[in-house]
Amino acid sequence: MSANPGLLKPQKQIGWATWATFIIAVLFFWSLIAIEFSPGRMIQVPGQIARVLSFFYPADMAYGWSAVLPAIIESIQIAWIGTIIAALLSLPLALFGARTLFPRIARFVKLISATARAFPEILLAIYFVPIVGLGPFAGALAIGISSVGMLTKLGAEVVESIDFGPVEAVEASGGSRILALRYAVVPQVLPEIVAHWLFRFELNIRASAVLGVVGAGGVGGVLLNTLRYRHFEKAAAVLLLTIIVVLIIDMVSGEIRRKIIRG
Amino acid sequence: MNVAPPRPARNWPLLLGTLGFLVGMTWWSGHGIGFSLTELLCNLPGGQRLLQESWPPDFAFLPRLYAPFMETIYIAIIGTVVGGILAIPIAVLAARNLTLGPIVWFADRNFMNILRTLPDLFWAMMFATAVGFGPVAGALALSVFTIAVISKLWSESLEAIDMGMPEAVRAAGGTWLQMIQFGAIPQGLQHYVSYALYAFELNVRASMVLGLVGAGGIGMILETQRANFEYERVTMIILAVLVAVLVIEQISESIRKRLA
Amino acid sequence: MNKNQGSIRFTDASVVYPNGTVGMKDLNLEIRPGEFVVIVGSSGAGKSTLLRAINGLNRMTSGTVEVDGTKVPQKDGRELRVLRKRVGMIFQDFRLVKRLTVMSNVLIGRLAHVPGWRAMFNLWPAHDREVAMKALERVGITEKAWVKAAQLSGGQQQRVGIARALAQEPAIILADEPVASLDPVTTHQIMKDLVRINRELGITTLVNLHFLDLAKQYGQRIIGLRFGELVYDGSAANVTDEDFRDIYGRDFTEDDVLDEDAVGG
Repeated sequence: MSANPGLLKPQKQIGWATWATFIIAVLFFWSLIAIEFSPGRMIQVPGQIARVLSFFYPADMAYGWSAVLPAIIESIQIAWIGTIIAALLSLPLALFGARTLFPRIARFVKLISATARAFPEILLAIYFVPIVGLGPFAGALAIGISSVGMLTKLGAEVVESIDFGPVEAVEASGGSRILALRYAVVPQVLPEIVAHWLFRFELNIRASAVLGVVGAGGVGGVLLNTLRYRHFEKAAAVLLLTIIVVLIIDMVSGEIRRKIIRG
Repeated sequence: MNVAPPRPARNWPLLLGTLGFLVGMTWWSGHGIGFSLTELLCNLPGGQRLLQESWPPDFAFLPRLYAPFMETIYIAIIGTVVGGILAIPIAVLAARNLTLGPIVWFADRNFMNILRTLPDLFWAMMFATAVGFGPVAGALALSVFTIAVISKLWSESLEAIDMGMPEAVRAAGGTWLQMIQFGAIPQGLQHYVSYALYAFELNVRASMVLGLVGAGGIGMILETQRANFEYERVTMIILAVLVAVLVIEQISESIRKRLA
Repeated sequence: MNKNQGSIRFTDASVVYPNGTVGMKDLNLEIRPGEFVVIVGSSGAGKSTLLRAINGLNRMTSGTVEVDGTKVPQKDGRELRVLRKRVGMIFQDFRLVKRLTVMSNVLIGRLAHVPGWRAMFNLWPAHDREVAMKALERVGITEKAWVKAAQLSGGQQQRVGIARALAQEPAIILADEPVASLDPVTTHQIMKDLVRINRELGITTLVNLHFLDLAKQYGQRIIGLRFGELVYDGSAANVTDEDFRDIYGRDFTEDDVLDEDAVGG
């Protein structure tokens, strides 16, 4: 593509965008018909949502403190252990997954990480639940395995982007390959990689929150039950507390990430 | 001559504090969720049995996956289109350089961040409760999820655009809407398309599991087979999902690369 | 100091790169312990190839290189690491780990001298720390020991590079275009440092240079390369403009000298 398509090729640009819009519109309406989302149904939806929302007030905070908060804490614990597992496994994998360091092994490592990434955590949890039993441990394992994929990929990209001069300098002074990794690669990549860990922790909080749906612990199961039995005031407490806790964790973690990258 | 300065003291409180926090948090969490290597090892035979039961996948089940799989794709398409359109005003108002005023900006920004805190399945559960089980709930949930994804990313790239054009439109007597339409959006269009495709990838992945809470798509079959411990079928479904996700990601990624 | 003398001998040495480029052709050369040798030639003449063959960063296609009578191993492994331990290298782009302190960068020169596990966990023996500090003293930047390398100027970074090489307590120092990224004033300081270290410690020093006046000013012995072949080998005092013309295959211009007045001087 040219550097400035808007100015150089106005004709072609308009043609391309029009076609894309047209195709997307066709797919969209076709999908609406296929799931039988008729105009009549559409009109009902806002009313239905408003009705349910009206039941959400007032939130049952007594239930919130006694039942929801412990479940949220469990979700945080699941996310933490999952992130720790993923961080420990992905650090060596990221080094071996860097094309520029280990051209042959990297291909293989990248394939594994792509596969691990393709599984949503919750599908992995479906397998771990029968193995280690219902509960948060299964959730932590699922989160850990599925995060390894993404952290390996991002980590390998960080490693590939570094300055390789120091690696040669270490080897020229008689240091082994392993020591070259330790002294020339790890110090260069660690801040970025730790920032990725923190970011992944933020994502994992959200992921662990839903694992309760398949019985893998955390706050998701609580929400599912309160909604199933139509205890909307209790569901409101789940939503409220989840939003507050996640916002706080995002803020703190984001601040630490910025500090790490700068320092 | 130079005198070697003393080695600066390390910031022990910070170092020990960080280390203590990491170890303490890990111990507390591990304890809290019942992390145990022995349990893991003891259960490995059970895991092996599960894997044997899950393999080979039940290929005879594949034809029955077609309809729910297509439903999954429909849900993802609707969610991406609806969410993608609604994300435009939200992103524009959350961009500091384009917004209508500090109050609008503050409100919109917080609204956006709150949307982002809730995971996709929470929305699915709520919509399934409100409008009933089925794909409509899934499509609504993904619309909200898409708004959260696109508006956050796109508002950041809108903040980085060259303000020359929008200001020129404004100087020529254009309204705020015209400034956005002719000055700002053309510059952010490529990013928008790229984020929309990214959201579509996420949506395909998410729509696979929406059915677990009754919000339509292939996940609903997955849930029934799982509840009946039909793990050969579960494996079949997951394999199909895996292949579909990878194929769609490849296509979407190649389009995104061509745009960049 | 090291008991090894630091002599180098090339015998019928050739390097052909996989893409067919000839980096070195039938080179026969002997360098005596403690010599200060400047290697000149236009870019692509094989200056780097020659230096990098000595510590095995480049492999020979045929012939041999020996350091103190031992052949430079032609494959990675322990033997090559043992040899590299005694050969320090200084790079054009410094090759420091910018996020580490100056001290840590210099300690990289001690990696081959301490047990692997100690190096792995950053548990340096006091002796090695002392050697590193002495190396910093010798290039006069001890006051920067605990500063991050990224915060130093180019000249200071190259001094750290020299200190890292010195920390190896090497018999030989290879400096590959050590001043090509530096301004003229710093260039002279770094060249003086190299000469001083060569005199004080008797370390055999090989320096690749592009600038002719620098070669003449600082070299003891000058080696000229052209298309990988040795075309000049003699004392710096006797080298003439004619000789340089032979080495470069053309009249030299002001691009080939650092200070314009130095042409012919």
